[in-house]
Amino acid sequence: MYSLGVDVGSVSTNIVLVDNSGNVVEKLYIRTKGRPMEAVRSGLALLKDKYDDKQIQSAGATGSGRMIASIQIGADIAKNEITAHAVAAVQLDPEVKTVIEIGGQDSKIIIIRDGIVTDFAMNTVCAAGTGSFLDRQAERLEIPIEEFGDHALNATVPVRIAGRCAVFAESDMIHKQQLGYATCDIISGLCEALVRNYLSNVAKGKELLSKVLFQGGVAANKGIRKAFENELQLPVYVPPHYDVMGAIGAAILAKEKLEREKKKTMFKGFSVSDDEFKSRSFICGGCPNRCEVVCVLENQKAIGYFGDRCGKYNNRSFSSPAVYV
Amino acid sequence: MRIGIPKGLLYYRYHAFFETFFSKLGSEIIVSEQTNKDILDMGVQFCVDEACLPVKVFHGHAASIKDRCDYLIIPRIMSVCIKEYICPKFCGLPEMIIHSIPRVPKVSVEPLYMRNEKELFRWCLSSGSVVTKDSAVIKRAFISAVTAQKKGRAGINEQGRKLTVMLAGHPYIIYDDYLNMGIINKLRAKGIGIITEESVGDGETREEVKKLVKKPFWTFQRRVFGAACVLLRQKLIDGIIYLSSFACGIDSVIIDLIRHFIGNFPMLVIKLDEHTGEAGVDTRVEAFIDMLERRVFNENYNPSPRECVFSGQNPV
Repeated sequence: MYSLGVDVGSVSTNIVLVDNSGNVVEKLYIRTKGRPMEAVRSGLALLKDKYDDKQIQSAGATGSGRMIASIQIGADIAKNEITAHAVAAVQLDPEVKTVIEIGGQDSKIIIIRDGIVTDFAMNTVCAAGTGSFLDRQAERLEIPIEEFGDHALNATVPVRIAGRCAVFAESDMIHKQQLGYATCDIISGLCEALVRNYLSNVAKGKELLSKVLFQGGVAANKGIRKAFENELQLPVYVPPHYDVMGAIGAAILAKEKLEREKKKTMFKGFSVSDDEFKSRSFICGGCPNRCEVVCVLENQKAIGYFGDRCGKYNNRSFSSPAVYV
Repeated sequence: MRIGIPKGLLYYRYHAFFETFFSKLGSEIIVSEQTNKDILDMGVQFCVDEACLPVKVFHGHAASIKDRCDYLIIPRIMSVCIKEYICPKFCGLPEMIIHSIPRVPKVSVEPLYMRNEKELFRWCLSSGSVVTKDSAVIKRAFISAVTAQKKGRAGINEQGRKLTVMLAGHPYIIYDDYLNMGIINKLRAKGIGIITEESVGDGETREEVKKLVKKPFWTFQRRVFGAACVLLRQKLIDGIIYLSSFACGIDSVIIDLIRHFIGNFPMLVIKLDEHTGEAGVDTRVEAFIDMLERRVFNENYNPSPRECVFSGQNPV
């Protein structure tokens, strides 16, 4: 029996199957490309032939697209990323005290003491220093993102890059390039800038104790990991499933919830990958708020709404097992 | 005469005063609507780019009623307490409005000191003279307005729910539910009680700030910091949610000040700007409540107190 976890993030959509002893038996990392439902659908399609619906005992969703995903797959729980990441980290290593998570659009720090989240912080309104920014710089330098970290490790001379704002960083990088600095030195400078920004912004005032886990897509970047170790003077561990920790957490949370409430899963089955999912948005003219309402359609039938502030659409009940926790 | 009152900035604190005063003078009062998308868009369009979101939204409110009134009340509030000041943007607010929004009607430009009734009356005499020259009428309207203001003390104080949080921040963010994405209702829907700084008396906050090396410069700083410390000491709250507008200088000082003194106590800072996607706020609030629940569930589990903190050493 497995628990399904889906983490719909800004850059990637991750799907995992976790067995009863907590092992990850299946893991998919799909680029979201701004189309969350298509990403989830294509992920489930890959699993459809290998697994039977009956093997799925529970399903959970997390990430910034958790609402849409939970409607789509029929999740038992839709939980925020902080809780999901913390749960996965503690299950992996009960000793963990600090989780650094840098994803596509968010960066977070989670402080854990004796297995309990005692503090956390996320980046504020801007997404500087996150994965999507690195992605863009890699593209601009024409270096595959996978090799970005290796380039940083080859640096010999540290070049200082402004890290406070993505736009500042980019113009600083271009100026340094124009002056002829080596690309690997600039990349290393960028990694250091990102870490500096993270520590003085997201992690400001927090007590970072060992053991430190580094998860999220950006943890693949060896340059960033090394920059963290240099700054913190602590070993920074990257767990084997660093890139899907949120999805693992969602799977664990869903399993725990059903066990606690002794309920059966609302997972709709892998056949949803054959269905056609669409969303359309419209501006509600009911009041001057002009909310941008999103309607999720499964085979042309509305299965859920969100985005309205007053609940005019949101509260409509549907036979589908959409859950908002 | 039609008097326009934009529903922004310190309207949320002093609306009873302004509305009563001008209606008692016999003028028609035009208050702008609740903040909405059109008002936000207009504010962003007219206002200088560097201003904070509440100032931009105020521009939107002013623009939304400017054609329907003969006189706009743009209070140039300088100070509300002796030896304390408020955000400097208020000093230049009338000029910002006059020069940024095309075709504004006449605007109140008189500086407004609210440190005592005498000063307040001086403002009323000069601003009221736009409506009437009869100083007896102004005096009567002034007395009613002061009474109305004293009666209508704002603030939220909900105790006895499963969890209680202090909702901190400038009143124009806390009470503008468009700006803050309806956070009050979001919290109430989760069964969380809310306490705001108005629940703590002025005297208590003055006592509290005596422990600071330097007297607070801003009234708001004293009020929020003092109230947070009092509520924490009286164990009335399980956490603090601070709503801050992006680039607010006063908030940045207060947030650090509170952090210095509360040690491990949970505090969530939410920065607001023009974003209307609610996922970011929802995630943070949800995670914060999850954390508070687990802490309370574990009998207020509090790990070894962090070395505190005013020595200038930062743990990071």
